[in-house]
Amino acid sequence: MVIDMRRCIGCHACTVACKAEMAVPLQVNATWVKIVEKGPYPSARRFYLPRLCNNCTNPICVRNCPTQASYKRDDGIVVVDPHRCICCKYCIASCPYDVRYVNPFKEIVEKCYFCQHRVDAGLEPACVESCPTRAMVFGDRNDDKSEISQLLASNATTVLKKEMETEPNVYYIAGDETAMSNDEKGINYRAEGAFINLRL
Amino acid sequence: MDNTDVNVVYSVQHQLPLVMYIAQYFFFTGLSAGSFVISVVATMLGRKEFKPIGRITAVLAPVLLIIAPLNLIADLGQPLRFWHLFFFYNWTSPITYGSFLLTLYPIMGIIYAIMVFTNRGTAAKILGIIGVPLAISVHGYTGFILALAKARALWNTAAMPTIFLVSAMVSGIGFVVVVAAVRWKWFDKKTTEEQRAKDKRLIIQLAQFMAYTIMLDLFLIVSDILVLLTAHADAYQAGMLILTGNLAPIFLGVEIFLGSIVPMVLVLGPTRKNLTAIVIASILVNIGVYAMRFVMVIGGQTIPLS
Repeated sequence: MVIDMRRCIGCHACTVACKAEMAVPLQVNATWVKIVEKGPYPSARRFYLPRLCNNCTNPICVRNCPTQASYKRDDGIVVVDPHRCICCKYCIASCPYDVRYVNPFKEIVEKCYFCQHRVDAGLEPACVESCPTRAMVFGDRNDDKSEISQLLASNATTVLKKEMETEPNVYYIAGDETAMSNDEKGINYRAEGAFINLRL
Repeated sequence: MDNTDVNVVYSVQHQLPLVMYIAQYFFFTGLSAGSFVISVVATMLGRKEFKPIGRITAVLAPVLLIIAPLNLIADLGQPLRFWHLFFFYNWTSPITYGSFLLTLYPIMGIIYAIMVFTNRGTAAKILGIIGVPLAISVHGYTGFILALAKARALWNTAAMPTIFLVSAMVSGIGFVVVVAAVRWKWFDKKTTEEQRAKDKRLIIQLAQFMAYTIMLDLFLIVSDILVLLTAHADAYQAGMLILTGNLAPIFLGVEIFLGSIVPMVLVLGPTRKNLTAIVIASILVNIGVYAMRFVMVIGGQTIPLS
């Protein structure tokens, strides 16, 4: 997938489409848009960064899953077998991109699957379909004539956290450096069944 | 550009996947591994005065290791599927090593305890030689669980398994000192006064050994933090989180001050012959190591990765 940040208007349509398509519960997200404001007035500007699972070529979550519940499909999509997952949550701890979550109703780990059911049916993922500016492009990189191959060939692209050696498969065109790095002031929390709440 | 001009307007917060149960599990395996090593050392030396310590620890090790994995199963979202760990194993995952080690080690520990109690010295020694590497790996692998989650700066260090092993020795000895002191005070009426004095001296020696292990532990923690503060941006942030952030009171106050420095002073200072002071020091050490597990597990996940 390629996300063209020159086109993104930060409308959160992908977030909403994902929630509706994959039945993602409240408090957790498989897709979201990070918004960063930079610069002093009057030269301030907002930058957006749609986030979703990178479906890495070399995923740490699959390597660390103790039950082979997380695996790579032949086409490269990283999925979690809902019947095999024991919800040890080690994959969430291992993921450098914070894209996995525990479904509070099913008590298993879920993530973005690039809408595998839609892809199998020949459709595009829900976020791509819903994007009003066509900022997100999904396709087969091995096919030289596909839109995604041409975009990747003709644009400067970056990926998130290249140093993790995961070889992400979500490429950003003109992604902002601040938006792509960690939120320094942010702090994680435990959604439910909390023993501690770190928002002190 | 100045960093103050950057403002994150919107980003989601994430779940903390591993919480108290995991910290507690690390604590219990640590206690067990520590007790087992002491027990084997006592058996190996084969001296008569070490026998009571050897027996106490031989019982403690398997009992603590039966409590420990219960924490793990309670932490699972699908506890009834725990058997997947054995049938659908994945050799690249440290949890898989753990699920097999956690099965082998208590079985071995129970057999070893039976050998110790039936006075079959040679068999106990052989089992002890096999058991020590097993005890070390059963606790060392927990360090690998954290170290191999490479995105978390606080965890991803080669020193992590060693830090865990040394703090396991510290807390294990501390726990044994407490149990041995309780036995000496209330449950040991049959032996002679001379024997009781010997036992007391043994407990004090054990506590002194604990104080030296604390020094090693402190050295490892200092070197870990020094490297964190000078490594990449995430590592610096993780270091500052435990030194000045929300976790600083638990890390500096409980783990370092109450759990390491105070016990060291109590054991090696003017109160070094006082059994009450030594027991207090040992309890503090255990609280400190528990705090260390907490800081490591929670602190590693507190910093968002997005």
